[in-house]
Amino acid sequence: MGASGSGKTSMRSLIFSNNPASLTARLGATIDVEQNHVRFLGDLILNLWDCGGQDAFMDSYLNSQRSTIFSHVAVLIYVFDIESRDTQKDLEYYKDCLEALKKYSAGARVFLLVHKMDLVRGREREGVLGKRRGELEVESGGMQVGVFGTSIYDESLYKAWSRIVHTLIPNASVLSKHLTKLAKCCSATEVILFERTTFLVIATSSPPTPPPPPTTTTTASSTITSPTTSLPTSPSKPNQPLSSTNIAETTSTDLVDDPHQLSPTRYERTSELIKSFKHSCSRFVREEFHSLELELGEFSAVLDELTKNTYVLIVAHQGFVETAALKLNIRLARKKFEELQGDSLISS
Amino acid sequence: MASTSSNGNGSIPDNVIRTKILLTGMRRSGKTSIHEVLFNNMQPKDTFWLETTTRVRKHHYDTVIPLEIWDCPWNAGPETLEISLVEFAAMIFVIDIQDLYQQPIAKLVEWIITACTESPDMSLEVFVHKSEALSEDYKIENFRHIQQRVLDELADISLEYEQVPVNFHLTSVYDHTIHEAFSRVLHKLISVLPSLEDLLNVFCAKSQAPKAFLFDIHSRLYVATDASPVDTATHNLCCDFLSMLNAFGPLYKSVSASPARCRKPLPPSLPTPPPSSPESGHSTSLPSTLSPITPKHSSKELFYPSASTSLSPSAQGTTLTYHLVTPQLALVSILPTTVYESRRGLVEFNVVFFREGVQEICDVELDGRTLRH
Ligand SMILES: Nc1nc2c(ncn2[C@@H]2O[C@H](COP(=O)(O)OP(=O)(O)OP(=O)(O)O)[C@@H](O)[C@H]2O)c(=O)[nH]1
Ligand SMILES: Nc1nc2c(ncn2[C@@H]2O[C@H](COP(=O)(O)OP(=O)(O)O)[C@@H](O)[C@H]2O)c(=O)[nH]1
Ligand SMILES: [Mg+2]
Repeated sequence: MGASGSGKTSMRSLIFSNNPASLTARLGATIDVEQNHVRFLGDLILNLWDCGGQDAFMDSYLNSQRSTIFSHVAVLIYVFDIESRDTQKDLEYYKDCLEALKKYSAGARVFLLVHKMDLVRGREREGVLGKRRGELEVESGGMQVGVFGTSIYDESLYKAWSRIVHTLIPNASVLSKHLTKLAKCCSATEVILFERTTFLVIATSSPPTPPPPPTTTTTASSTITSPTTSLPTSPSKPNQPLSSTNIAETTSTDLVDDPHQLSPTRYERTSELIKSFKHSCSRFVREEFHSLELELGEFSAVLDELTKNTYVLIVAHQGFVETAALKLNIRLARKKFEELQGDSLISS
Repeated sequence: MASTSSNGNGSIPDNVIRTKILLTGMRRSGKTSIHEVLFNNMQPKDTFWLETTTRVRKHHYDTVIPLEIWDCPWNAGPETLEISLVEFAAMIFVIDIQDLYQQPIAKLVEWIITACTESPDMSLEVFVHKSEALSEDYKIENFRHIQQRVLDELADISLEYEQVPVNFHLTSVYDHTIHEAFSRVLHKLISVLPSLEDLLNVFCAKSQAPKAFLFDIHSRLYVATDASPVDTATHNLCCDFLSMLNAFGPLYKSVSASPARCRKPLPPSLPTPPPSSPESGHSTSLPSTLSPITPKHSSKELFYPSASTSLSPSAQGTTLTYHLVTPQLALVSILPTTVYESRRGLVEFNVVFFREGVQEICDVELDGRTLRH
């Protein structure tokens, strides 16, 4: 939900329909509610309700349609236009929606997207977003909300949506555990799992944890003889054990113990880059992107299908890892992940 | 020197003769945007913030030939330049496709006439720019109209000017037209182009590649291609492949893993046996024209980054490959996936040969341009 013109339909068409940002200018205002069933991870059906934001519609959602709109909601995504001319009105509607949500779908998660951040000049973005976040948290009156700055013109949209869908995947932490295992088998630095059509990140391997904190992992961790432990750039910082439940919140931000210190925006940037290349493939030669292999100076990487509904990216920084080996490991891991995925969805 | 900026990897010495390109046109026609988008990796959207250029800026760019690009302010004329037009290998005049045509055309004609007398060998290029802003029909109509007006005015002045070769290109920084147009301008300035093309032709024939480009990595201009015609869609896809690779590298760059991993390439092996996959039937039917080319000397033990991506339609997929050739140049080729998968060793073998050829040509080219005292 969100005011008319705030960008709801645009982001939906980018994430779920593989349309380029440049085409969104042609979208007309959404009339009433547009319902979309999108298959996510094959068997998980997301029922997206794109609610046209003109005042007349908003009033009707909040009055006559109140119970229809706000029942059985798993996630509310509220979009705020950074250039909105009437922020007061936006907030009133938002608070009213929140009330209705509390009544009809008490367990729903709430995400607030401060959108069109590209219209704010680069170095002011952080400040502007910080201020909006503060305001919105106050207005949410104690309700747990995730606030993200987004734009259809950069990777920020993928970051926000990855977090959103992450909350809908029941067994993300199990996936993460197996990705970590796969990483270890490949001597890889990192393994990242993407959903096939959206290319949103659904899980990642947990970072190598040198030196292993005694409380978090089982004896298995002591068998990792990772050369990373001896690298000079890894100072012994206080350990912040990652519990498997909050992994969603910690994976794509700063990994304090990561000796590689890879770019903190790499996950969402990868989603964006692959999405846009996929688009080029279908637009220019009407072929579908299938896989990618890189042997660069600093790392090798393979991006390939893992299961019917997922892609996996394996990144290795150790000199002896060949992409052929990574590909082989992906092939070997396929069956296990097909099973896991089946399990995780049945249990939901 | 204050107005000279340099990019590239700095391996080209100062005392080298640079090929000069003049970039001129009316105010806000898009000259600086073109330079920034091509050579400084600026996002097209960000060109909006560029300020008007008030004096000539000379930019160095190192690719197969070292370039010096002069970005002129709108009021520059042939008479205000500090050196003669004869010093320039090419002039690019930029016209905003939606500009009122009277003024820019008068200015362009003035440049052309001076060029004809002062510098008859200079190539004359007109970029009819910001073309993405118009619909397809309207775009072509305006383009023809501008072209006709220029030729008419030249003919009006003197019939001898009717024969002046002026090349027109439709361009925009928002799509790949600017890359394609600038590439074509560049080709005319590369004296070793025929040798590069020969190498590409041989590579394509021996590797069963329907198309191959030698790209400048950072600007994504192609400096040469094989003899088969350039299909715009394929060119655009290769450009996007490069830009994805350019962005991917830094994302997973580690602060601690040694950058020079000293990864040794496997010794290029002869065609590997096809994998025992269901599709292996295809590879057995490959024509026997695939044959290794023998490099003149054994490959040096160096690591060259490479990448590939496979695309799969229902029928038969394509693979795009990328192989670094020099610090600035990469070979991008299109291969049927079946060929790449079954004959990868052979393709890599041919790349080694190609690379040595290009490196040699570049060395000779640079050597010829270096001033000795
Ligand atoms: N600058 C900028 N413009 C955006 C962004 N996202 C969307 N827009 C533009 O905003 C306009 C409105 O977008 P829509 O997606 O139709 O808005 P909506 O929220 O669905 O509007 P209603 O359907 O009326 O509720 C379009 O012209 C988009 O191109 C963004 O991130 N940055
Ligand atoms: N629509 C469109 N605008 C462009 C294009 N190229 C440049 N511009 C815009 O034209 C304006 C002037 O560009 P600039 O490069 O400063 O022009 P200069 O004075 O010739 O150097 C800027 O606002 C650019 O964003 C293009 O291909 N399409
Ligand atoms: Mg809409």
